[in-house]
Amino acid sequence: MLPPHLAPIAERLREITVEVGGHDGAGAGIMWAPDLVVTNAHVARAESLRVRLADDRRLEAHVVAADRRADLAVLRVPRTRVILAAVADSDELRVGALVVALGHPLGQRGMLTAGIVHALGPLAAGGRRWIHADVRLAPGNSGGPLADTAGHVVGLNTMIAGGLALAIPINEVRRFVSSVLARSP
Amino acid sequence: MSTVMDLSNALTGAVASAARSVLAVHGRPRLPSTGVHWRPGLVVTASHTVDANREITLTTPDGREVPAQLTGRDPGLDVAVLRADLGALPVAELAPDAELRIGHLVLALGAGPRASAGIVSALDTRGGRAETMAVDLTLYPGFSGGPLIDVLGRVVGITTSGPARHLQYAIRAEAVTRLADHVVQRGRIPRAYLGVGTQAVGLPETLRERLGLTQRTAVIIVNVRPESPAAAAGLIIGDIVVSIEGEAIAEPEDLVSALTPERVGQAVTVRLVRGGEPRELSVTVGERPPRA
Repeated sequence: MLPPHLAPIAERLREITVEVGGHDGAGAGIMWAPDLVVTNAHVARAESLRVRLADDRRLEAHVVAADRRADLAVLRVPRTRVILAAVADSDELRVGALVVALGHPLGQRGMLTAGIVHALGPLAAGGRRWIHADVRLAPGNSGGPLADTAGHVVGLNTMIAGGLALAIPINEVRRFVSSVLARSP
Repeated sequence: MSTVMDLSNALTGAVASAARSVLAVHGRPRLPSTGVHWRPGLVVTASHTVDANREITLTTPDGREVPAQLTGRDPGLDVAVLRADLGALPVAELAPDAELRIGHLVLALGAGPRASAGIVSALDTRGGRAETMAVDLTLYPGFSGGPLIDVLGRVVGITTSGPARHLQYAIRAEAVTRLADHVVQRGRIPRAYLGVGTQAVGLPETLRERLGLTQRTAVIIVNVRPESPAAAAGLIIGDIVVSIEGEAIAEPEDLVSALTPERVGQAVTVRLVRGGEPRELSVTVGERPPRA
């Protein structure tokens, strides 16, 4: 019997995760549609950005929408043949679930880290809901996927607080993308 | 891949099941700690997170605030036992202690619930008994006193980042149960008492060689309370205590660890150095009088 391992999930996530670069450093992003990348607003600070796919293809991207408060951004890239992110229902996520993060921490491309969901909810009473994950992240993970054991994206890794990864629940990301596309088809 | 998914489902199930007996403990300023409903009406937590001079309240998993009373503690093991009226709140399911092995996958829980995962990395002994274990996982702020659970959601211990050798360790469930039983049977946990004040002191190389000691330090007695068990046994200021019942005493914390509740009323052999010469004294451990 083969021991259970995360390789199939890692492979899948590597293909849907892009590198987003501007003039200052890089973050990660998720292939949402053949011509759309989703990332954090703090990653997409420049008007035009470079997106590097897992297979090393480089694309020019421009920011369709960036919401600094939500820390979410949608980028348009030339329509391209890629595997797209499969997205889970983040409301179904439970504390203790195994999760993996893929990103480019400190410039190291395509790094996978694993852990569990630590907590679900705001940092302080009345605040925004986060997925708190006991997963190691570093600068360069921002905008990259947090995924479940099916390889489905449950959150967008956004920041680190108290040693914990904080990810925006993917349902919130989905609503954001829908509202952006409704305004600018 | 389904096996990884099975494991993930097992972990979420374990958290959900164990979290039904996990409470927030408000027993110190600011940061609440975590407690476990151990026996009906008895909650255990980490002793260092409960201030005896404060009103203690608990928050149940369904958000109720319940007052609690401190009924006993073992500072050496860092366990406190609280009494509270918790109604039908389920008590924790305990894992058989004998099954615990190094390498077991475990989760630490805080009230909320919050969770972190890791493994049992070492099994330790105290006073010749297997009472604690080191764990390789992150104990986040407020986790102290919370349960360490296995993948079936059964409690194997309670975690603390308090006065310990390891940064992360847990007190094994059996040791916690023993303390809770003191409270059930006698209404308190007896606190061992010698009546000495001590400081750590270095042992000269020559003395260590002569006495065949591996420890580099011991504790020197700087104060002996009159009419205390120590005074009755003839301990005097300047005595250097090297071991109690064969357990090395390298620092004052070791004295606290050696003075277990079970030793109250028992005669223990204290090995010491007086005037450069080794000696052994028999000391009958007393019980610390309750706070006035």
